[in-house]
Amino acid sequence: MKSTGTNNLSHAVKKPDTDAVLSVRDLTVSFFTNGKQVPVVRAIDLDVFANEVHCIVGESGSGKSVTSLAVTGLLPVTATVSGSIRLNGIEVNKADDETLRNMRGRDVGFIFQDPATTLNPVMRVGRQITEGQVVHGLLAASDAPGRAAELLTEVDIADPQGRVTQYPHQFSGGMRQRAVIAMAMSGRPNLIVADEPTTALDVTVQAQVLSVLLQRQQALGSAIILITHDLGVVAEVADRVSVMYGGSIVESGTVQDIFDHPCHPYTAALLRSVPRIDAGDDRLETIPGQPPTPAELPSGCVFHPRCALGANKARCQTERPQLRGFGSGQMTACHFAEEMQPDRPAPPARAATQTRRADMKPLLEVDDIKVHFPVKKGILQRTVGWVRAVDGVSLRVHPGETVSLVGESGCGKTTFARAIMGLLDVNAGDVRFDGHSIVGLGRRAMRPVRRQMQYVFQDPYSSLNPVLSAADIVAEPMRLHGLFEDMGGDKRIAELFEMVGLSPSMMGKYPHEFSGGQKQRLGIARTLGLKPRLLILDEPVAALDVSIQAQILNLLQDIQRELDLGYLFISHNLSVVRHISDRVAVMYLGKLVEQGACDEIYENAAHPYTLSLLSAAPISNPGMRNQRARIILRGEIPNPASPPSGCRFHPRCFRATDICRAQAPELATQAGLKTTSICHHAGPLDPNEIALASQPKAEQ
Amino acid sequence: MISYLIRRILQLVPVLLVASIAIWAMLYAVPGGPVAMIVGQDASQEQIDAATRELGLDRPLVVQYGDWVANAVTGDLGKSIFSKEPVVKLIGQRLPATIQLAVFSLLIALVIGIPIAIISALNPGTWIDRVLSSWSALALAVPTFWLGILLVLLFAVELRWLPSASRYVPFWSAPLDAMRNTFLPALTLGVYVSGILARFLRASLVGELRADYVRTARSKGLPERQIVGGHIMRNALIPFVTIVGLMLANFLGGSVVTEVVFTYPGLGRLLVQAISTRDYPLIQGIILVIIVIFMLINLAVDMLYAYIDPRIEHS
Repeated sequence: MKSTGTNNLSHAVKKPDTDAVLSVRDLTVSFFTNGKQVPVVRAIDLDVFANEVHCIVGESGSGKSVTSLAVTGLLPVTATVSGSIRLNGIEVNKADDETLRNMRGRDVGFIFQDPATTLNPVMRVGRQITEGQVVHGLLAASDAPGRAAELLTEVDIADPQGRVTQYPHQFSGGMRQRAVIAMAMSGRPNLIVADEPTTALDVTVQAQVLSVLLQRQQALGSAIILITHDLGVVAEVADRVSVMYGGSIVESGTVQDIFDHPCHPYTAALLRSVPRIDAGDDRLETIPGQPPTPAELPSGCVFHPRCALGANKARCQTERPQLRGFGSGQMTACHFAEEMQPDRPAPPARAATQTRRADMKPLLEVDDIKVHFPVKKGILQRTVGWVRAVDGVSLRVHPGETVSLVGESGCGKTTFARAIMGLLDVNAGDVRFDGHSIVGLGRRAMRPVRRQMQYVFQDPYSSLNPVLSAADIVAEPMRLHGLFEDMGGDKRIAELFEMVGLSPSMMGKYPHEFSGGQKQRLGIARTLGLKPRLLILDEPVAALDVSIQAQILNLLQDIQRELDLGYLFISHNLSVVRHISDRVAVMYLGKLVEQGACDEIYENAAHPYTLSLLSAAPISNPGMRNQRARIILRGEIPNPASPPSGCRFHPRCFRATDICRAQAPELATQAGLKTTSICHHAGPLDPNEIALASQPKAEQ
Repeated sequence: MISYLIRRILQLVPVLLVASIAIWAMLYAVPGGPVAMIVGQDASQEQIDAATRELGLDRPLVVQYGDWVANAVTGDLGKSIFSKEPVVKLIGQRLPATIQLAVFSLLIALVIGIPIAIISALNPGTWIDRVLSSWSALALAVPTFWLGILLVLLFAVELRWLPSASRYVPFWSAPLDAMRNTFLPALTLGVYVSGILARFLRASLVGELRADYVRTARSKGLPERQIVGGHIMRNALIPFVTIVGLMLANFLGGSVVTEVVFTYPGLGRLLVQAISTRDYPLIQGIILVIIVIFMLINLAVDMLYAYIDPRIEHS
């Protein structure tokens, strides 16, 4: 089994066939809620052709998923659909249930967002892949297992015969999504609808899955509708793009046109608000406000309240713009597209990274900590082994500094953070805060330290108590420490609200009245109440929309400058990490494999794992697509209960040699390299290496 | 799987130990005690001492408990004070009757409850859902003794189709007669429990219907019947099995009120008799049997989980 390979995700933009596979005209979808019809999709036109990837981009509530369900008649009965949807010559909106049911199994395949829930947990994977075909009489039941194994082979799943009889929980996330692709492709459909197919996956797995999806599409010549909020993914795979906002398509065109010269202010602003992995930028441009909810759409142009171009223009507030041709082949729904600045302004250069003074005392010092969990087995539940979740990690965070921890899910990032907070027991090593060891401190002794270290959680939706008012949520930590009155009481709360950009008039409201971004602001305000010196931020923007993500990142940077906070920032999003970090540490299977200054990691990485991660991350620049070969890591993170011998990365590494299998490398800064790494073969990526890496290796 | 089973059975040992201590200690916790029961209120001190010696209650507590457990393990739960018969024999006479009633009741509850749950879950918010949900509420609200009396009045007194007092007729010796005799008490219990089962399964089904894999199944163009039968049911059954197990255990523990209303010779009525005559060895024996039944059914439910849900790891 070869451990790595290369693949070029891109393919040339094809001239669309004249007949569209899917043709949508004037599609409007509304839902009956709270006694009135609420339009979620408003009069959109869309054509999708064979052999093309058509991306629909938009933030939550833009109507992109509803559009995808409407085109195949999968919406719930509470939805009212009008307009024309022609799919393979069938008028979907007029077809009866039986026609639609037949069409779904034969002509359309679906790939949904979360591979953990898309498959039925109590049914064997093989049966799920082929049951649609069997029902439609396209496959004899007796041939189904063989066909399922064939389909699994086509999506690069090893041991397909054995996998067919397994259940979904026996598959990893990436394998599940590949199985879903196999299922969607099983009937050789001419249209594939993929709704955020890689959002729940790690970058390395995302690269695998997108590559498999495009390979299969090219083999079958299908059309793909790919729905995503990730502009990096769009830049990597799209042929044509439709941008949705507030239930309408506001711009459409080829991927190159959209990225090079967007002709709608929303698209332009969205592109500017995304942190870039290929350039260090100092501050993100944000779109003020938040995306509208379908129940409260603004009059005129839905984007006008957030639009810089449309500010003070009466026409934008009263007249709804229609999608119209612009330039050669692009479409825009903006009255004043001609007035847009044609060039995308270059991102402001990063201010010279503030160098830490050598004498500055670190706020947090972590020395070689280990967190191991016992594996119990047998009748007596004896401990038969240990899951080495964190296995010897050392790290420093200074005041005013952001140190980011990146790695795939399961690498031990969150365990590490929880151990530092004292929420998990540390098996070995030392954690010092402000020079004092905090390992093994009792509850009482830990209290004053915990005041100074606060944790911001990923999910703003579930981390706030729904029955407490916003003011009480923010006050709670101060009250728990008995410091509420001392710290200024209600005046302090109002101060905190203003600090995170919330109006103090919202203090009496409850969490459900806040939007996602506002909830995360509330979560940040809560941690700031006790005047902490260190914030541990665990994926703080992962659950937020792109335009909101930029607002929160800017807020975090402002607060850090104002209060001289140290940040330990945990993320799997390499673009966000590049934007916010001073230093970056890359974690793999419980160990830090490489660390260094932020720009050095992104420009001069030396560890093959870091190089693979960077190569797998999508770049929001379609022009780069053909110029960049990528290393696609095979397989997934091994089980931390039985890590591979020698270097833990060797089974997936394109540089692995005998020494890597036998001997674990030591942490070192090798001559001529700008980062510190643990690797026998550390060094920058050689252009020839990718070609070598793609050659199959001997079975081991 | 075998190792899991053994581990689960071993886990029952401490539970059983605690239960046995509690049951045995009951003898001393209750005022009066068995001695007063045997010798009567006007007994002399000699009579009391003699009875105490005869029952072995003058020995150290540890020895008494050890003896009791040792006997219980070999199947000797002592003799009934009232009838002088071995407790095991008395329970043995009643247990088959209770098992037969429990199985019939559960079947009736499932036959009524499952279709109600499926129909209302597939038509949420419609009039049919509301009608069926009201049935569940009604079934739960009506007291079983009242429903029992009503059924007797209708089928036994008025229509004279079925006997008013139910005898125990073993099903395999005379199936028809057995059903005639068990039908009314089984219906009484079954109706009540059908309300619980229907509510529970409906909630479970409604939750599953919103699951992503259902949308996936629709996107494959599966017919609705196959989506419900092939995909949703098995998932919805996982939590449902727990409640069915609990209900069965409840029935087997003796359905005191219903057995009394129908003068059915089951474990429940025996327990009531034992309590009213303060027949301590018999009370202890019945409670011990009920606890063991509960534990075994729970074990069976956990094993059934493993069969339905492949995600449960046993090693």
